[in-house]
Amino acid sequence: MTLFLQSVVSGLLVGGVYALIGIGLTLIFGVMRIINFAHGDLLMMGMYTTWIAFTAWKVDPFVAILLVFPVLFLWGAFLQRTFINRVLGALPQNQILLTIGLGLVMSNAAMFLFTSDYRILTTSYSSDSFRLGGISLSSPLVVSFLITAAITAVLYWFLMKTDTGQAIRATAQDREAAQLMGINVRWMSILAFGLGAAFAGTAGALISPTYYIFPQVGQPFTLKAFVVVVLGGMGSVIGATLGGLVVGITESLSAVYISSGLKDLVVYVVFLLILLFKPSGLMGKSRM
Amino acid sequence: MDTTRATSSPASRGSAWLPLVASVAAVAVLAVVPLFVSNPYVLHIMILLFLSVIMGSAWNVVGGYAGQYSVGHAAYYGIGAYVTLIFMTQYQIMPWWGTWVAMAAALAVALVIGSITFRLRGPYFVLASIAVAEVIRLTVLNWKSLTNGAEGILSGPIPRITIGETTIKFISKVPFYYVGLAMVVATVLANLAVQHSKLGYYFQAIREDQDAAHSLGINLTFHKNVALGISAVFTALAGSYYALYVRFIDPSTVLTIDVSVQMVLICIIGGIGTVLGPVVGALVLVALSETLRSNLVTELLIAVGAVSPESKVGAFLKEHLSHAHMLIYGILVVVVILFMPDGILGWARQAMRRRAQAALVAAAGEKR
Repeated sequence: MTLFLQSVVSGLLVGGVYALIGIGLTLIFGVMRIINFAHGDLLMMGMYTTWIAFTAWKVDPFVAILLVFPVLFLWGAFLQRTFINRVLGALPQNQILLTIGLGLVMSNAAMFLFTSDYRILTTSYSSDSFRLGGISLSSPLVVSFLITAAITAVLYWFLMKTDTGQAIRATAQDREAAQLMGINVRWMSILAFGLGAAFAGTAGALISPTYYIFPQVGQPFTLKAFVVVVLGGMGSVIGATLGGLVVGITESLSAVYISSGLKDLVVYVVFLLILLFKPSGLMGKSRM
Repeated sequence: MDTTRATSSPASRGSAWLPLVASVAAVAVLAVVPLFVSNPYVLHIMILLFLSVIMGSAWNVVGGYAGQYSVGHAAYYGIGAYVTLIFMTQYQIMPWWGTWVAMAAALAVALVIGSITFRLRGPYFVLASIAVAEVIRLTVLNWKSLTNGAEGILSGPIPRITIGETTIKFISKVPFYYVGLAMVVATVLANLAVQHSKLGYYFQAIREDQDAAHSLGINLTFHKNVALGISAVFTALAGSYYALYVRFIDPSTVLTIDVSVQMVLICIIGGIGTVLGPVVGALVLVALSETLRSNLVTELLIAVGAVSPESKVGAFLKEHLSHAHMLIYGILVVVVILFMPDGILGWARQAMRRRAQAALVAAAGEKR
């Protein structure tokens, strides 16, 4: 029973980060109907920004979020304005390939600048843990989970209560109608992509104390983000949050009860089953 | 949707003999190349080129003609490579039999995957194809008794064949060159056959408008599966060729998403849904990555005197530019998608047409 609880809790902690990555992807998909294949590479950029801040100025990774969030927001907004915006009406295949191309440019530019060496960001608390009712909890993961929860709550408040948030939701619901109501949909798209990139970058900052940092680190996270988003229902923020937690728990349970080599396999099989039998995801058709 | 793809209509067949003659001449020239060129590096580049053409043309059948953007073709490539080498190293079955088994295995897997995933459309299908390929990669990675897991399979030299009096030894690159050339011809001919057959018209109808095609009585799932089947067989052939040529495979070289993406890129860059598109795409990509990898660009810049080899810039370029081919790939894809959505071939055709029109206008102006 302790083993079960332990694996559920550690899955939940990892799932929080997956949720954050998924929220970024679902926000972009919701507003622009574009699947961002460069999402993991945005996360990679967040990791490297954190790493630079840590090695150059001794900034704690969790404090570095204050830097990573605006940097990645601006980068995402730039990508949207210069590239993504031009293919909004194009074939979905071309949109996908454009983001694949952008991802290749980002990961290989990182390799160019930082070489393909694995970087480790060792903080004084990287391997700290504490016990709570017989369950061992990794301190950095707990902190990052709490930060994730706070960010998700703020985002939810922003989308629900502020005028800009409502405008984003309106754009996601019906782009043309939103435009007719006087909403600047171009600006909303830039905002959504910026926010999506910023969330991916923040997730990168959050996992940097516990992960290796290298240029190709993003790809598995891109795939995982797809799983999270489809699981929750494309475009749904609550769905992505739930999806992230479900993926985290599924992974950790299958690592414990099946085999750690097969945990990703289980996740992808679950993903395929969801795609086939409930493609609208856990949260049905709800959009944001 | 766009007109450049549809120019293969019967009306334009009258003038179609010119490309035919050109292609036959090109194949004839390629066939005599090894008689004059013995430089193994040149032959190696040509073999890489053949491999890329086969990969691109194989994907083109399902992605270009039927419009089903699979980003999971690494699955069939990997199956081709693994089945061939496993049969050769573990069961001592000759590769020329093993390759057929590999192709059959890829076909079987493709039909299973196809009948499941073709119920999905657009982005959902893309995601499902990636997930299936990942499932296969992870299975191979974990099935250590058969596949040797992450360590991969290293094979000894390929046994020689004796046909009548002649014995072919697969020691030099020349036999690989001819096998590759033959496979290129077969794959490109298959594309040509698809483009001009009734089956191919069905594929293109599905690509242009699934629902309209369905309402005209085209069985969507069946025809998508046929397209995927053809594509998977040739992809497996490419995988098998790669495995026999390099004689080492592991999941991270033949089963990653990079392989799938590369197959798509070859078509997109050259011109998707055309017979020659993948050939052009392969030419561009192989030429580009080889010039970068062999540091020709840096040497050229130094020779011209643009940068001195001792300067900081020169040293930086010399060290890094050879690793930059994937970066250039990425930039190329972005440029092609934004500015030449029909690929280099489509863009060139359009430019030529515009030029011809401008010439006509100019001629008409002079007459007056």
